[in-house]
Amino acid sequence: MTRPEPTAALERALAPMHRRAFLRGVAAASAAGLVPLGCRDPELGPPADRSLRVLSPRAYATLNAAAARLLGPPAEVLIQTRRVDPAARADDWLGETPALGAVLGQGLLALELGVWPLLPKLRPFTTLAGPAQDAVLASCMGSRLDLKRDLFKGVKSVAALAFYGEPASHRAIGYPGPFGTARDVAAAMAWSPDP
Amino acid sequence: MASEEVLRADAVVIGSGAGGAPVAARLAEAGLDVVVLEAGERFSSADFTGRAGNLLPRLMRASVAADSGMEVYAGRGLGGSTLVNDALCWRPPPDVLAGWREEHGLGGLTEAAFAPFVDAVWRDVHAAPTGPENLNRNARQLALGAARLGWAGEAMPRNVRGCANLGLCNLGCPTNAKQSMLLTYLPRAKNAGARIRTGVRAERVETAAGAVRSVRARGPAGRLRVEAPLVCLAAGVLETPALLLRSGLETGVGRDLQLHSSLHVTARFPEPVHGYYGPTMAYAVSEFSDVNGRSGPGFMIENVSTAPVTTAGALPGFGPEHARMMGLLPHLARSLVVLRDRTRGRVDLDGDGEARIHYEPVAEDLARLRLGLAAIARAYFAAGASEVWLPVNGMAPLTGEADLATVDDVPLDPRAFSLLYAVHLFGGASMSGRGDGFCDEAGRARGVQGLHVVDASSLPGNTGVNPQVTIMANALRIADAVLAARGATA
Ligand SMILES: Cc1cc2nc3c(=O)[nH]c(=O)nc-3n(C[C@H](O)[C@H](O)[C@H](O)COP(=O)(O)OP(=O)(O)OC[C@H]3O[C@@H](n4cnc5c(N)ncnc54)[C@H](O)[C@@H]3O)c2cc1C
Ligand code: SF4
Repeated sequence: MTRPEPTAALERALAPMHRRAFLRGVAAASAAGLVPLGCRDPELGPPADRSLRVLSPRAYATLNAAAARLLGPPAEVLIQTRRVDPAARADDWLGETPALGAVLGQGLLALELGVWPLLPKLRPFTTLAGPAQDAVLASCMGSRLDLKRDLFKGVKSVAALAFYGEPASHRAIGYPGPFGTARDVAAAMAWSPDP
Repeated sequence: MASEEVLRADAVVIGSGAGGAPVAARLAEAGLDVVVLEAGERFSSADFTGRAGNLLPRLMRASVAADSGMEVYAGRGLGGSTLVNDALCWRPPPDVLAGWREEHGLGGLTEAAFAPFVDAVWRDVHAAPTGPENLNRNARQLALGAARLGWAGEAMPRNVRGCANLGLCNLGCPTNAKQSMLLTYLPRAKNAGARIRTGVRAERVETAAGAVRSVRARGPAGRLRVEAPLVCLAAGVLETPALLLRSGLETGVGRDLQLHSSLHVTARFPEPVHGYYGPTMAYAVSEFSDVNGRSGPGFMIENVSTAPVTTAGALPGFGPEHARMMGLLPHLARSLVVLRDRTRGRVDLDGDGEARIHYEPVAEDLARLRLGLAAIARAYFAAGASEVWLPVNGMAPLTGEADLATVDDVPLDPRAFSLLYAVHLFGGASMSGRGDGFCDEAGRARGVQGLHVVDASSLPGNTGVNPQVTIMANALRIADAVLAARGATA
């Protein structure tokens, strides 16, 4: 079957992280001022006129920052110029499935605020330059810790689904959209027999 | 205290998917007063706009095995997983039924006993062979590779009428071509008088003196209780066992969860493939199967849509390489390994009383998945692919047959994969003729009169083929047994 997406992805993103006390610990530590907060990139946070349903402004900015690096250059441009806003879409989904919101929020906070030795950084994710963000993501992807790999997969999955679910992302990948023209569909069905 | 609506009926069916809908239709047509409770929404084809971002949160639910990261998906909505499935139809393999007879003491599950129900399902859901007009280039690339390697394969029958090749089967068919439960058994149930309540989640089954009494549920208007002497559980493998556990019915519940583990392989072809249009799935390589008389390692290979959201989530790695792969979307073809797992897992409840799955693939299954990855890559190279991506984070693409040896380096670790998942789920409240399952061969709960399991939870193991027809046929078989028993006691 084709793999299903948003709620599923969110649940997938979050379920493995769900009961990880340390994620809550990171959140609590940040609230208590025990981890460096720094300034997040305001361009990736929620627009001033947007009221968030589930994500905090910091989690919102972290998701957009991670999505921009995870999905590569064309996505980065579209996200930074706000033509696609994956965090906004994810926040909408989470509003439909509020139980998941807290878990995604925790995962994103861990990515944003987690520091060495958990993650190879001493500053918030959103304040790092692109290559340093990539190093953090790579350390999660290749980690021997299940938790870090789950974090990578979960955030990537949500980012990819939220991004490619938006019509503005389709042009960069040559996708004509869910309802192709008769010509598009005919091109997908045309086949000359094997010589 | 908020008031509670109370209904009375002859039978309650919980869940309206491949298990629940046929039972609701059969019982209602036999004259029973039936209430169907469905947790999801009621959709019509007008709702199926193809907009993944809006639809999927409403159409799909998921769970993740905390021990392995294995992802498990099911549909939600009136019609259950049949709303979002790929419409592929297979008869129950005779050797699978033989295994159930031998290993689980289900002596009555013969091919002959199943045949009339399978025939009825085949007719009722309009299952029919898939012709060349519904084989897209994505399916053809897999078929071509298989043919060049001399492997067995076939176009799979589908339950569609007038499929327009839109490729939106997983988002709900906008043209009503797919003959899901929404268009087949549920209208029949309704026409026969069944009362269908959507957005109503059954929370508990109540029993007293060894018999079922009622179902407690919660819906948009508040609490609901349905009193009935007959309850048919069809909430799917993610929920039927949890519902039983919440009801204090534990014996034989939650065990024997089994899946078809799946992994995607993506290939790049010089010519455009446009794999996002045309049926989402249509062609299967059966060469490696261990059912229907085959004695391979036990997996099918099936082509699958390259819709961007699903493709992106399953590709390995990130960053510029991810962007490069996605930039090639029109040229990509995809297939998946559908493994007949040997792993057994379980379902229990988390602290909130919700289903939690445990499923740690055994090494043998991981090794067979790896064989499947290698086989798909071989088929794609045989068909002319220039690059093949395995779903393994950190692994470079294969660029030719010489790279196939590197597949042996794929770690036997479920978390190494970019996406390891299942949509074919079995067991958790299964039938057994040996007294060790939750229910007997007729789906009857042991020790609770009037309680039956009629969905995929009742199956004692996986089927090795896409299971919806087996689930529907088994549901009709159990419904007939229920009616026969009522006749006997009337
Ligand atoms: C994306 C996808 C693609 C698939 N493709 C194919 C295919 O091509 N061919 C094939 O043979 N099989 C396919 N399958 C599998 C097949 O559709 C399922 O195996 C089958 O539908 C399962 O039947 P079921 O009755 O056990 O559960 P479901 O069909 O999932 O139905 C369960 C229903 O119960 C409802 N429910 C859950 N909890 C409650 C509650 N507490 N109260 C009330 N209602 C509740 C759910 O909302 C759901 O509607 C696919 C599955 C998926 C998810
Ligand atoms: S491919 Fe066919 S069955 Fe699938 S959504 Fe399109 S018209 Fe419906």
